[in-house]
Amino acid sequence: MESLQLLLDGFGIACQPMNLLLAFAGCLMGTLIGVLPGIGPAAGTAMLIPVTMGMNPTGAIIMLAAIFYGAMYGGTITSVLINTPGEAASAITCLDGYQMARQGRAGSALAIAAIGSFIGGTIATMGLVLVALPLTRFALRFGPPEFFSLMLVGLSLVTGLAGRSLIRALLSAVVGLLIAQVGIDLVMGAPRFTFGRMELLDGFGIVPVVMGVFGIGEILINAESLSQGVLNTKMRSLLPTRKDMKDSALPIARGTGVGFLLGLIPGVGAIIPTFVSYAMEKRMSKTPERFGTGMIEGVAGPETANNAYANASLIPLFTLGIPGSPTTAILMGALMMNGIIPGPSLFKDSGQLVWAVIASLYIGNVILLVLNLPLIPMWVALLKVPFSIMTVLIFVFCVIGAYSLSNSVFDIGVMLGFGLLGYAFRKLDIPLAPMILTMILGPLMERGLRQSLEMSNGDVSILFTRPLSGTLLVIALLIIATSTFRAFSTVKGETEV
Amino acid sequence: MNMNRAYQITGVVFLLLAAFIAWESLELKFYTSNGPGPGFFPFWLSMALGLLAILMILKATLREPEPMPEGFFTSRAGYLRAGAIVMALIVTTALLDIVGFPLTMLGTILFLLFALGRPGLIVTLLVSAAGSFGCFYLFDRWLKVPLPTGFFGF
Repeated sequence: MESLQLLLDGFGIACQPMNLLLAFAGCLMGTLIGVLPGIGPAAGTAMLIPVTMGMNPTGAIIMLAAIFYGAMYGGTITSVLINTPGEAASAITCLDGYQMARQGRAGSALAIAAIGSFIGGTIATMGLVLVALPLTRFALRFGPPEFFSLMLVGLSLVTGLAGRSLIRALLSAVVGLLIAQVGIDLVMGAPRFTFGRMELLDGFGIVPVVMGVFGIGEILINAESLSQGVLNTKMRSLLPTRKDMKDSALPIARGTGVGFLLGLIPGVGAIIPTFVSYAMEKRMSKTPERFGTGMIEGVAGPETANNAYANASLIPLFTLGIPGSPTTAILMGALMMNGIIPGPSLFKDSGQLVWAVIASLYIGNVILLVLNLPLIPMWVALLKVPFSIMTVLIFVFCVIGAYSLSNSVFDIGVMLGFGLLGYAFRKLDIPLAPMILTMILGPLMERGLRQSLEMSNGDVSILFTRPLSGTLLVIALLIIATSTFRAFSTVKGETEV
Repeated sequence: MNMNRAYQITGVVFLLLAAFIAWESLELKFYTSNGPGPGFFPFWLSMALGLLAILMILKATLREPEPMPEGFFTSRAGYLRAGAIVMALIVTTALLDIVGFPLTMLGTILFLLFALGRPGLIVTLLVSAAGSFGCFYLFDRWLKVPLPTGFFGF
């Protein structure tokens, strides 16, 4: 009941005209980011942070959250229409969505994806409302040792982002931790690795790093191959048939469950829920051999899981301060830039803002549904924009985004440097997500450890003797052991070391 | 050249980086009476980096040769296009504060459009105007996100 009252108060703030407008703008921009190949949700969200700088924190976070889940839907459009996922989580939708488009059923595919995303997102938001306060009360029992151990659990989940090689994933994670070491030491105030540069006293900003790694790195790779989507799809009808709706009902229900549950686990990433959902639908279908030929279930399930995941992944971010993916890590960075610290004390210190954001998630899901169905022809037209023009636009936004953080060209240089790093990592198949995750979590973990050791006068056993901290450490070790064991597994297709 | 060689080279680069970071972190306080000092974490992270680099080199040396994936090396034209973007960013960084956002972006956009695709004249002019002066007025004047104005006051 308390949650319901707080949510209603949140609606009061979220429904203010300016906040509604910001949610609408965020959904529109997020969908655009998802549609445009070459710029993913992480870089897109980071690029648009400067746009929110002049706003009040509530409006800024409402807009950024809308961009986040808007981008999840936007990636579907290119998957269906040109067989190119606008963002990685929409890759599985290419299998059946594009086939549906070739059969003239693109409208049905996109409409079902929109409806499924709405249902999945809304139910996941209800879950957020129910789970947030109890989880936060539990998390308020955390002190520095528990916080350190929790961050270690978050970091151990990096192994879940390993991709094809555990060693390369761990390298990426360590590089991220080292990047976070640059700047003033959190406890003693000594400069580290600043090489005399004033601009580095605050360390590397998350925004230029992410824009460089994901934005500039991506356009460098695309410039090499000059890949361009060509659209030649006719849409017979925008609306799904009654049979499409009937066939999609259970996949949407299952997709909601899969996306929500996996969204609660930090480090899972947006791709896994969609793949799990697709595999589940195929397994439960009476005609699994027809998957890949234009089965509506192959679109409904994964797309619902995608948006349910996006909304549910805000739960560990808000309540525990653990971002589950690079994009939620960016959101975390944006919250911190606005003076709001995600984690156990968020609901206590900034309760009004958080409940307004949660309320805006409901509103945003409605906006996405209403916005995207009629705008499908516009998104289709956008895909015909030549590569050179799209690259130029991304370039301009990246420059504005990097510069406007501290009105310094130094940040553009940082973005360029990390762009080259992102390019090199992509070439070498070194995953980028672990680097971003550890860059955010590393300083928090270091502070937790050093404060813990100050509390115990240097006695490290404090981490093990406190029950909650000890339990979390065991969980972290189990996760690392399981992932390492899987990495050494000889099963074909498993992660290699 | 195969991927094994690429990973050996990458491993050596990471190993050298680890050595450098370890050296620099020893200049900082390692441990204090209150617990780890500023040099503690960077030192152990550099050890982890070095160990992972050695594992990468060993793995690349001991396993079967793996060919380069398709597209690892690109054509000369591809490198020139990517190089154009890098050059554009360098020039932007150098000139932005001096010449101002609109004029710097105007020149950079024209250069990039020429290097990446050469759309028609009208499109080039529209995109250049929108990306330079258009974005300046949108961000600086309307959204109040300050952008550099340079010599000419715009």
